[in-house]
Amino acid sequence: MKIAIFPPNSLILADLVERRGHEPLVIMKEIRKKVKDAEIDSPPMNITEEDPIKGLKYAAIEVPSGVRGRMSIFGPMIDEADAAIIMDDAPFGFGCIGCARTNELSVFYLRKRGIPTLELTYPTTREETLELVNKINTFLDQLEDENG
Amino acid sequence: MSEKYDPKQNEAADKSNENKAEDNTSTRMIILSPTANISQTELVQRLHMLEMPVTIKSTCYGAMVHGEKEVVEEVIEKARQWDTYNIFTKDRGFPPGDPRRCRGHRGAAREGYHQLEKEFDLLCHVGEALKKPQKVKIDKVEKITVDDFKKIVKHKASKIKDEGEK
Repeated sequence: MKIAIFPPNSLILADLVERRGHEPLVIMKEIRKKVKDAEIDSPPMNITEEDPIKGLKYAAIEVPSGVRGRMSIFGPMIDEADAAIIMDDAPFGFGCIGCARTNELSVFYLRKRGIPTLELTYPTTREETLELVNKINTFLDQLEDENG
Repeated sequence: MSEKYDPKQNEAADKSNENKAEDNTSTRMIILSPTANISQTELVQRLHMLEMPVTIKSTCYGAMVHGEKEVVEEVIEKARQWDTYNIFTKDRGFPPGDPRRCRGHRGAAREGYHQLEKEFDLLCHVGEALKKPQKVKIDKVEKITVDDFKKIVKHKASKIKDEGEK
């Protein structure tokens, strides 16, 4: 199954999903497509003319262009997902997802999809981390049981 | 004799070129947990010993492997077996040494490194949890009723009012 993870660049989430035999939908794979695009001079600083159009599907024209640009990458990933794992309160400056409004919009769309979703909080202690890992594994096993 | 321009043939050639240009490479980061049983040097040595057609780069957190997708996946699968609970991997968008991201060219930590540093601190606990899995119950989040919501609003409003009077 394709699992959307949030933050979409999280090492822990991507690794745990992969260990259970699922495919994590990570931002790195999307960025790679941009990096390899000969049309773009300095990815991901620049975008193609198609990107704002893609972004418009997820964010209205009044929404800041940065949010729209980010949504053009996050949006298709959300559409593709069969299930989602959301980790709230990830440390500030979590890689390329430093835009709070895009994060809110992405989480909103993930919830709106109505797919099985697991919501967690970013762990800070040993106990919290153990609980987080066990919860993720239980959630992924349940998905397997439900879908065979 | 010059050949006649055939748009259909040209289109087909363009498409085949597009397919050829389609990227089938992948870059994976191999991150060692602080409690790993193998060192970063040992990891790189073992990767080289596999004699697979991949580019291997030694890094401070472990190693980076770049090559054909299928080959990289095979390498990752083998690498995980060396220390299952302490070797973590994730994809990387940019290939190793890419001047747009490489620390050497930028003169500072690359984007995403700080996040990796934060998650690195938790990896030993993640490994511990994977080693000793426990069954947990996942509580389903339910929507609150309108009455409950009204109570929360009233409670919050009275708090704000009290603070304002102070």
